[in-house]
Amino acid sequence: MAPQNQGTELDLTWISEVQVNQPAVLRRAEQIQTRRTMKKDWQAAWLLKAVTFIDLTTLSGDDTSSNVQRLCYKAKYPIREDLLKALDMQDIGITTAAVCVYPARVCDAVKALKDVGCKIPVASVATGFPAGQTHLKTRLEEIRLAVEDGAKEIDVVINRSLVLTGQWEVLYDEIRQFRKACGNAHLKTILATGELGSLTNVYKASMIAMMAGSDFIKTSTGKEAVNATFPVAIVMVRAIRDFFWKTGKKIGFKPAGGIRTAKDSLAWLSLIKEELGDEWLKPELFRIGASTLLSDIERQDKIHKRAIAQGQRNQSRKD
Amino acid sequence: MAAAAAAAAAAATGAGEAVTGEAATGQSMGKSSVQSIFFSLDYGPAPESPSTALAWLETQGPNLGHFVNGKWLKPDGQGTITCRDPSSGEFLANCFQAKNEDVALAVDVAKRTFEEWSQLSGATRAQHLIRLADAIHKHQKLLWTLESLASGRVVREIRDGDIPLAHQLLQYYACWAQTQEQALSGWQPIGVAVIVLPPTFSFIEMMWRVSPALAVGCTVVVLGSPTSVTSLLVAQLSEESGLPPGVLNVVMGATSLETLLPSLSGVVKISFCGTVEEGKALRKALAGSGADLSLNLGAESLMVITDTADLDSAVEGVVDAVWSDRSSGGLRLLVQMSEWERTLWRLKARMGGLRQGRSLDWGMDMGSPGTSAWEKAQSYIQEAQNQGAQVFQVGNASQKSPFFPPTLVLGLAPASPCTQREVPWPVVVISPFRTAKEALAMINGTPRGGNASVWSERITLALDLAYGVRMGTVWINSHGLKDAVAPVGGCKETGSSWHGGPDGLYEYLWPAGLLPRPVALPEAMDYNKFGLSAPPVLPSGPDTSPPSQTAPYGIFLAGRFQNPSSRSSRPILGSSGTVYAHVAEGGAKDIRTAVEAAHQAAALWVSQAPGKRVSMLWALADALSQRSQVLAEQLTEVMGVGITEAQTEVMLSIARLRAWGARVHAQGAGLHSAGHQGPFLRLREPLGVLAIICPEEWPLLAFVSLLSPALAHGNAVVMVPSGACPLPALQFCQDVASLLPPGLVNVVPGDRDHLTRCLALHQDVPALWYFGSAQGSQFVEWASAGNLKAIWVNGGQSRSWDQEPEGAGPELCLRAARTKTLWLSLGDI
Repeated sequence: MAPQNQGTELDLTWISEVQVNQPAVLRRAEQIQTRRTMKKDWQAAWLLKAVTFIDLTTLSGDDTSSNVQRLCYKAKYPIREDLLKALDMQDIGITTAAVCVYPARVCDAVKALKDVGCKIPVASVATGFPAGQTHLKTRLEEIRLAVEDGAKEIDVVINRSLVLTGQWEVLYDEIRQFRKACGNAHLKTILATGELGSLTNVYKASMIAMMAGSDFIKTSTGKEAVNATFPVAIVMVRAIRDFFWKTGKKIGFKPAGGIRTAKDSLAWLSLIKEELGDEWLKPELFRIGASTLLSDIERQDKIHKRAIAQGQRNQSRKD
Repeated sequence: MAAAAAAAAAAATGAGEAVTGEAATGQSMGKSSVQSIFFSLDYGPAPESPSTALAWLETQGPNLGHFVNGKWLKPDGQGTITCRDPSSGEFLANCFQAKNEDVALAVDVAKRTFEEWSQLSGATRAQHLIRLADAIHKHQKLLWTLESLASGRVVREIRDGDIPLAHQLLQYYACWAQTQEQALSGWQPIGVAVIVLPPTFSFIEMMWRVSPALAVGCTVVVLGSPTSVTSLLVAQLSEESGLPPGVLNVVMGATSLETLLPSLSGVVKISFCGTVEEGKALRKALAGSGADLSLNLGAESLMVITDTADLDSAVEGVVDAVWSDRSSGGLRLLVQMSEWERTLWRLKARMGGLRQGRSLDWGMDMGSPGTSAWEKAQSYIQEAQNQGAQVFQVGNASQKSPFFPPTLVLGLAPASPCTQREVPWPVVVISPFRTAKEALAMINGTPRGGNASVWSERITLALDLAYGVRMGTVWINSHGLKDAVAPVGGCKETGSSWHGGPDGLYEYLWPAGLLPRPVALPEAMDYNKFGLSAPPVLPSGPDTSPPSQTAPYGIFLAGRFQNPSSRSSRPILGSSGTVYAHVAEGGAKDIRTAVEAAHQAAALWVSQAPGKRVSMLWALADALSQRSQVLAEQLTEVMGVGITEAQTEVMLSIARLRAWGARVHAQGAGLHSAGHQGPFLRLREPLGVLAIICPEEWPLLAFVSLLSPALAHGNAVVMVPSGACPLPALQFCQDVASLLPPGLVNVVPGDRDHLTRCLALHQDVPALWYFGSAQGSQFVEWASAGNLKAIWVNGGQSRSWDQEPEGAGPELCLRAARTKTLWLSLGDI
């Protein structure tokens, strides 16, 4: 795991001069989805790679130990063994990046993963997910309990009202306290960008979250009306890049919510490759929060067809 | 040339990363290709199959012909040139190299067809355009693969940019055709138009021009180069969609237009896009031929990044401008000093992510436009380096690769000769500026007048810069947006022709009732001698005019009458043959002073409210009516016209001033929508300093008819009045002196040829109207090539200044201002 971000002193000049031109960002977002295409083997390989970035997630009121158990099994074995074999990928040990659950289900997840012999971390949402409208004291306590239960990553939501009212110092202090409460666990800060009002606010909130010590910044809870969109992602990864240029620290990025199709996941990977570069294309720095994406990837014709093609090639080589 | 092509062919397999991918990882890479890609996360090839395009080329037989009169023309025994895929060097087709007789044949056909085509109802022509749009829609895959193959531009730009735009253009101009009889009632189609295509971007450049030409009823001969095989396909599609044969003809591989001139008899309009040097040479060669020449020159873009810009988006703007195959030119980038480092980081980082390779790959950002573009870029870089510039490239430009890497040039000294040269594709020359004011001065100091983008999140600054730059198109916080409705053109060295929007339409229209000048071979003329010096004037008898009526003596400069620099005078003879008065004899020095004064006045005048122009013109009208008696008598005495006629001339002059005053507020500027790209403003801006050589006839009316629209549109003028009778104009200047700011109107009487020469060769005069002899017109056309000033000449034909369309028609309105398209960007909510 990447070293934890200890954060930096709050420097409001980093956000005071920011300019985000929304129409220009929208144009870039449109372009980024059409300028790169993966075909054949490339598509199969990129899709398998996408699997390794997934925070396999269940965040429902009716979650129980049984479906969490199934989730964990799926995290360990995300793609059918025969397909992996045909692609000669069975020894890579492809798993998802993590599983992500509510605090009350952390114990179930930790146990289930242990049972299947899987070492991936359990991520827990916390701090009054998804609205963040509870007292700071209970929000901090929630983090501590989740960490106690064995969560290695905490996905916290920020208090949107602090952004909308421009209380950046308070926001910084809150996240700082989240950081402390996490102890050794990684802090992933959900900005709930659909509720921040403007892209400029998205940039500012991203910067504050990174200065305060977030290891990841995450787009959404999946519960807002607008979830992970490309324009928002472009602004966030540009903030990550600026932070890296200023401090030398690499902060991770996690889009979440609304990413359902294999095609979407490819566009997200190429967005990271284009805007941040290959160094960010690893689970330590890039995650996709999703619940149904995995099954869509597994369904992809491309993987099947490439598996068959590869099988034939192997066969002919043997002959 | 052949060696370069072979090198390109050899390199194509190695250079384009996309080309190598499939072969290497697909078969030969031992274990599992999926595994290796899984770890490297490289992009693979995403090729578009060229088979459709190749199949079409195959059907054409060994040689691609010309397309004339609705069928293929393949003359026997003529030389051919080879068209190759610039990114692989692969053979595509052999094109004929047109001879004069081929062009003459096409022109002849177009001339014959014009009779019928222009007589059709607008609605019928609209139908034809829509059917062509449908045909393009149906065969779009063939179009985009063929265009991408032949031009080396990435296929995605053609599919997503050119094809929809072509469709939109045909539809937009079909709308104009549909309502032509009402909306364009004062206009008629100009006649046969010859359109000369540039070697790159030929398909869309053709559509920009062909659509309005066909819509208004012109017939067209397109002269293409071997890279513009798509134009042949469009011609074939037009024939299949039912366009009458002969309306759209395409002739390939014609050499220089100068040598073709003898075969262009009957052509009225020549529209040329290419380089500045070619354009200037053509302007000189066609001087006096009578052809209406539209020039669209150069491809350099300009961009200003201020300290209030969204830098990341601005850097994407740079990619849009030069590194995405959307333009064939380079970029001059001005960056505010405080943002210098941050912009450079971002630019360099972004350049590393660009992908260059075969144009028919969906995942590429840039293709290869061919050897000549490669060499141009290389020579520019070398020169810049020699002059002390630093060059930053991702990878190196290697002779073996057809792909020229994106290039950044910095540290070029402002005075080095390289800064004057046009920046070629795919080069960005970046230089710092300190204040917005300095940036504006730097922009307006370049000879280019094409397009620019301004990046600032502060609306006051962004609009100020956008209004201030003298360019045809300005984008705020975006770069390279296009729409059929938005006019594209320019000023200065870019040439003052337009395509798109209503301005594109007027290129192919002529005022109804006026005959366009026929095209003929220009008369031989010694340009070095024309008007070189004014013939000496000697006293020739007693001055007979009553002292109360003589005009004030002097040259009207900067608001007052001044002694002529020549210190000599010219007698004006009355109709009886005796000397009626003496006027000052203006010369080169007076012209220089006048132009300077006009520039100063223009700079102040442009910021005044239009209402001020109204009151000024009306005040002039009032003042003129006070003088009507004296003026009428003067006209009778000198011109020998009857008193009623003279009175009519004065009355009409007063009416002109009032009419143009009333039109000040309705000059066709307005806000238009371009869908999701945001709105744009079509502005009508003053030309600046306008030089006007008035005709000999109608000494007062023609003077006022030309002066009023010029002032109404916010210009400052330097005028040469009628030589035979400059007195009324000078009389009128007394009122100008008391009513107008000094320098706005300057009147220099004297030897017309000499003064014409001074003005036409003046590098600081952006526009000139000439009404005089055929020879004078020819000289003005020739001399205008110097700074490519916008010109309007009469070719020695007289005009009925007392008639509405000729003396006060919309043509004057069109000529008295230039269009600017200002793209606003919105969408922050």
